[in-house]
Amino acid sequence: MTMPALDVDGLTKTFSGFPAVRQVSFSVPSGSITGFLGPNGAGKTTTLRMALGIIRPDAGKALLFGQPPTQRTLDRVGFLPEERGVYRKMTAEQVIALFARLKGVPAAEARRRALTSLERFGLAASAGKKIKELSKGMAQKVQIIAAIIHEPDFIILDEPFSGLDPVNQAMLEDVILEQAKAGRTILFSTHVMAQAERICDRIVLMARGSKIFDGKVDEALSVVPRLVTIGVDSHDDISALLSRFGEVTRLEPDADGAAVWQIALTSGVDPQHVLRACVEAGVRLTRFEPVRPHLHDAFVRLVSASETAQPAGGK
Amino acid sequence: MRAIYLIARREYLSYVATWGFWLSLASVPLFMLVGAAIPALVQSAQPVRHYVIIDETNSGLDTVIQASIERERREQTRAALEAAAQVSADAEARERALAAFDADPVGLDGLDDALEILGMEGSADMIEAGSGLLVRVDAPARTIDALRPYLVGDQPVSTPSGERSLFAAVFLTREAGSDLPLITYYSTNVTEQSLSGAVRRALRDHVREQALAARGLDPAEIEALSSLEPEMRNLNPETVDDTEVGAADFAPYIVAVILAIMLWTAIFSVANMLLTSLVEEKGGKIIELLLSTVRVSDLLIGKLLGVAAVSFTLFAVWGLIGTSGLIIAGSFLQDVDPEIAGFLGEAIQPGLFLAALAYFMVGYLMYGAIFLALGSLCETLHDAQTLMSPLILVLMLPLMILVFAMRSIDSLAVQVVSWVPLWTPFVMIARLPSQPPLWEIAGTSLVMLATLALVLWGAAAVFQQGALGHANADSVKRVFSRKKPVTDEE
Repeated sequence: MTMPALDVDGLTKTFSGFPAVRQVSFSVPSGSITGFLGPNGAGKTTTLRMALGIIRPDAGKALLFGQPPTQRTLDRVGFLPEERGVYRKMTAEQVIALFARLKGVPAAEARRRALTSLERFGLAASAGKKIKELSKGMAQKVQIIAAIIHEPDFIILDEPFSGLDPVNQAMLEDVILEQAKAGRTILFSTHVMAQAERICDRIVLMARGSKIFDGKVDEALSVVPRLVTIGVDSHDDISALLSRFGEVTRLEPDADGAAVWQIALTSGVDPQHVLRACVEAGVRLTRFEPVRPHLHDAFVRLVSASETAQPAGGK
Repeated sequence: MRAIYLIARREYLSYVATWGFWLSLASVPLFMLVGAAIPALVQSAQPVRHYVIIDETNSGLDTVIQASIERERREQTRAALEAAAQVSADAEARERALAAFDADPVGLDGLDDALEILGMEGSADMIEAGSGLLVRVDAPARTIDALRPYLVGDQPVSTPSGERSLFAAVFLTREAGSDLPLITYYSTNVTEQSLSGAVRRALRDHVREQALAARGLDPAEIEALSSLEPEMRNLNPETVDDTEVGAADFAPYIVAVILAIMLWTAIFSVANMLLTSLVEEKGGKIIELLLSTVRVSDLLIGKLLGVAAVSFTLFAVWGLIGTSGLIIAGSFLQDVDPEIAGFLGEAIQPGLFLAALAYFMVGYLMYGAIFLALGSLCETLHDAQTLMSPLILVLMLPLMILVFAMRSIDSLAVQVVSWVPLWTPFVMIARLPSQPPLWEIAGTSLVMLATLALVLWGAAAVFQQGALGHANADSVKRVFSRKKPVTDEE
């Protein structure tokens, strides 16, 4: 079995009596793209900082490639922190080369890679410009390059999409997929569920300092009931007919006056069963719309469930 | 090591590769030159001061004063001419020039001829500078009430150079029953005392001569009596040959105190550099990225070493300029004033400089680490200034002690404060020329080094908390105010 890129076990951290992270355990398998999701204040950044050895946990441990964070293991990690900034008086090339060298890349190679990467990211003309002369988006690209310039085995991105325009968000998505394709492990935290759903193989969901879900995206989606919306142009008792498939709710009639029903399917029920039941009962359907659940729904449902299970505390 | 080197290198280049650094590098010797020239500039820029003497004794005392002032002026001018001749002419020309000057034994009529011999025509103003500033004018009135408008600047007096304000009025009277004259001096300028001093000296010498003459002594005897002075030999028992203690012997003590003050200034400015750069780094959100790349201790040491390298660059350049200046000035002054030349020669103390370097390193690391730790708690320079105030007071104290202890560097108070580790670098360097006991040097050094280790360890812990915002300036304030903590954590 391949060694996970990151393995955290029982991580706990309290700041001045406030529990920021409680007993969090999860693994990031090698070669995977893992989304690290959670509402604001969930403890994601603190967990990542502990994983990288930036702050010490009160309890538990974090292993990078099976070892505690050391200079050697950290050299195999590329990190883009949530709070971004680079030396404003250095040029783009100098900043990238500096971080490459800090990660063990020889000087000449660091400069070569810096120029190549800047060209790839469309910043070749800005290589000699100081960071303070670049736009915010360009500076952010420089920092993203700095995080991966040493070709790390494991890339951790904390809120990488925040502050980027849609074009650059798409570009970053491509970069993440490209890095994954090259065999690198990626862990990134985000609030943009659509991106997480598109990119991630698996997700770890945090709320109030605790892990509330850890698994594949499909598994997360399965916690949300699939919905089927139907339009009916006959006087059949839909509630009685379809209640065996799940919870049936009558909605407002549509513009043509047809009755509209929504069925929240019980786990394991296929929308085709609903359709077959309607056809067999001779129901005149004007519309039949199975709705695919999204990660956003799963996120909201899981977080709400955790809040119900664990009453508010702390701050 | 790689990370420490790269962090230090970046820190070093961030200062050295700027115009500001080179400007400040050049500005210090420049300002020192200007500073050295300032007394001469101030002296040469002194205005001519016009005064009147109202001699109510009618015994010729006003003439005595004027003659004495002109004699002093002549002596000063002759000394300046002699110094200029030492530098610019050979022995023969020197003698001829002085003989030409002395052709007028009471005035300055021989100055132009003397300067011509030295090839220094047109330098009369410079040679005379500071000596011809007191000019007596005819009194426009005889009472203080009548002179008051002239003295307060409401009315000008006639002078050889036109109408000018009156600087001072000297009234000479004799009280009933006393043989001694009473000098009453009026001037709105209460700080400039050269005229009042000259008047007092002139009349003091005059009344003594008069008293001795009244006892039947002739002028030659009076002069011989006035010049009586005991011979004194100032010796140091540690010196094997009986060489007298001279200016050169004071050099190490003066250099040590100057080094201590320089040490203080350097540590203070360099530690401030660290603080500013860290606060800027925090403001620029670079810290987290750095901490995910290098260990906190590497970051701390790298920053400290980088800025230390900046200060060593400054020291190296300034030291080179200073030593060259001392050597050149020493050889230049060898003929002019061997005593000053000896002093400058003794000022170059390699052992003292090496000790200063070691004390600088330890002091810098102690204060630098504290400044870095405090800087890590601050988001803005304003926050930093609030936290720095107590530390600056701690830093100010040894400076005050040094100023007061310059005359008695081995007093008990100074010995005691040598043991305060944060002050040891400054106080001990100043004490070294007085050769304190070895156990005291070793003991204070050990305490200082132990404190350094403790400070570095504590600074690293605070830095780790502060750098990521887990503690801040408010945390420190809360420690003292005992308020409940507030958290702001993702």
